[in-house]
Amino acid sequence: MTPFYFGDRRRRLFGIFEPAGVTRVGKRAAVLCYPWGAEYVHAHRAMRQLAVRLSAAGIDTLRFDYFGTGDSAGEMVEADLAGWETDIELAIEELRDMVGSARVTLIGLRLGATLAARVAARRPGDVDMLVLWDPIQSGMDYLTSLGAAEAPSAFGPPLVVHGFPLTVGMHRDLSAIALAPPLAPPCARELTLITDRGNPRATAAEPPGGSRARSDATEFMSGVSPWIEDPDKIGAVPVQVIQRIVHWLG
Amino acid sequence: MSQRISEQAVLFGSWTSLVGIVTKAVSPASANRPAIVILNTGIIHRVGHHRMFVTMSRALGAVGYTVLRFDFSGIGDSSPRYDGLSLVDACMAEIREALDWLERDGAASRMILIGLCSGADHAVLYGHTDPRIVGLVLMDPSIPPTLRYYVHYIGRRLRRLRSWFNVLSGRSHTLRMLMRHMLPIAQRYPLQNRVPRQTIERHYRNSVDSGIEILAIFTEETTRQTYREQMIEALPNVSFGDRLTLEFFPGSDHTFALESDRSRLIQLILQWVSAVSKTA
Repeated sequence: MTPFYFGDRRRRLFGIFEPAGVTRVGKRAAVLCYPWGAEYVHAHRAMRQLAVRLSAAGIDTLRFDYFGTGDSAGEMVEADLAGWETDIELAIEELRDMVGSARVTLIGLRLGATLAARVAARRPGDVDMLVLWDPIQSGMDYLTSLGAAEAPSAFGPPLVVHGFPLTVGMHRDLSAIALAPPLAPPCARELTLITDRGNPRATAAEPPGGSRARSDATEFMSGVSPWIEDPDKIGAVPVQVIQRIVHWLG
Repeated sequence: MSQRISEQAVLFGSWTSLVGIVTKAVSPASANRPAIVILNTGIIHRVGHHRMFVTMSRALGAVGYTVLRFDFSGIGDSSPRYDGLSLVDACMAEIREALDWLERDGAASRMILIGLCSGADHAVLYGHTDPRIVGLVLMDPSIPPTLRYYVHYIGRRLRRLRSWFNVLSGRSHTLRMLMRHMLPIAQRYPLQNRVPRQTIERHYRNSVDSGIEILAIFTEETTRQTYREQMIEALPNVSFGDRLTLEFFPGSDHTFALESDRSRLIQLILQWVSAVSKTA
């Protein structure tokens, strides 16, 4: 494990490189894309566990904080989604330089999945596989779930969402999210995992008693939602979901 | 990142497995200033709720302090340890390792610990065991309840409509608390893993006797305390003297979710740390 900063002076990003723990045929590398805000804080433990399991399966990983979040430089009020997508592209380059891999896998959770899908669509030659774990598909639904459906005033202070500032620009970026399948570029394999109990697609399509593939690309699973603060499940890690991702990346 | 500070990712500890971020002023820090170590809150990683500890580190770094925020083993990015130490013993060992690292790095020979909730408790447990510690910033540390606390707490709950819904649905924390305290049969069950008052008093007494300055900050919207002086009334056998600075944040929740509360908190800590640096 190597914690380090990368990027230029004005946009230094904090990342953790987790080298593959075993050698496998064919080099594999993955960039992990975090969710945002309180979801990032709560999901951090699960994302680290995912990185550790991927490492044990022989996959190099880099997980990192977007500009203005976590340990990276900047403030949230300076951030926007286009910048975060650029950060993911920079992380791809960084990981490729570190491990010598031609292509990488993107794995994103919640907003991180949405950003990963956008980057994959823009850089099909760089992304071999895409794992979208409960992606934000509708920005307005997402903002509503955060209690932030109404845009902040352009002349007032930023909206504060669960302790994190949300500027007019970021609100506009988020509200514009409308992710529609297919989410991966044609030359990349894609797995979308839906575990969120609140997702209408999950409750409508999930068969009783467990997980099932709805199509080649989308699976519904029962499991802990690690981005949600639940006093009864503090520290719980969604082992089945993590195992599924590791197995699928095989 | 501010032009005035630099941040460096570090690995340290017995197994080089503890992850931390060191924040420093770009210009050399003033001699004899204590370094500052920020501890985890529960299982939240070193960034803290609402990124609070990042903002705090940078504010302190910008005025010349070296700050280390790090993850205990098994929390955040730090790997678990496998030597069989209990959780508390592991935390104590790792605080020492953090201080050793800072001292070897030339940051300072005097240190201040900052912690919220469990982080505050770990700071109190550790502080008096290490002569390098000159100050503790404790946000919502564990303190025993007092009679006045119960009167405040229950009164506050009874004034809230939601509490009545909880009573009717059997989910009321207040009702459970009353049941536990007022019914003899319930007295057999301890409330929330409470540490005995005598134990808490001993650690604070040792801290004061060791010459450690304490800034204790309490928020109102918690289940732990409801008024500013609760700490003094709850620990009657500790003579804090002028070692203790008490602050109370009315209306603030346990994690300082409001930006205005966080700003006030950081300003308060900056002023207090500056004063301790000059006197300690």
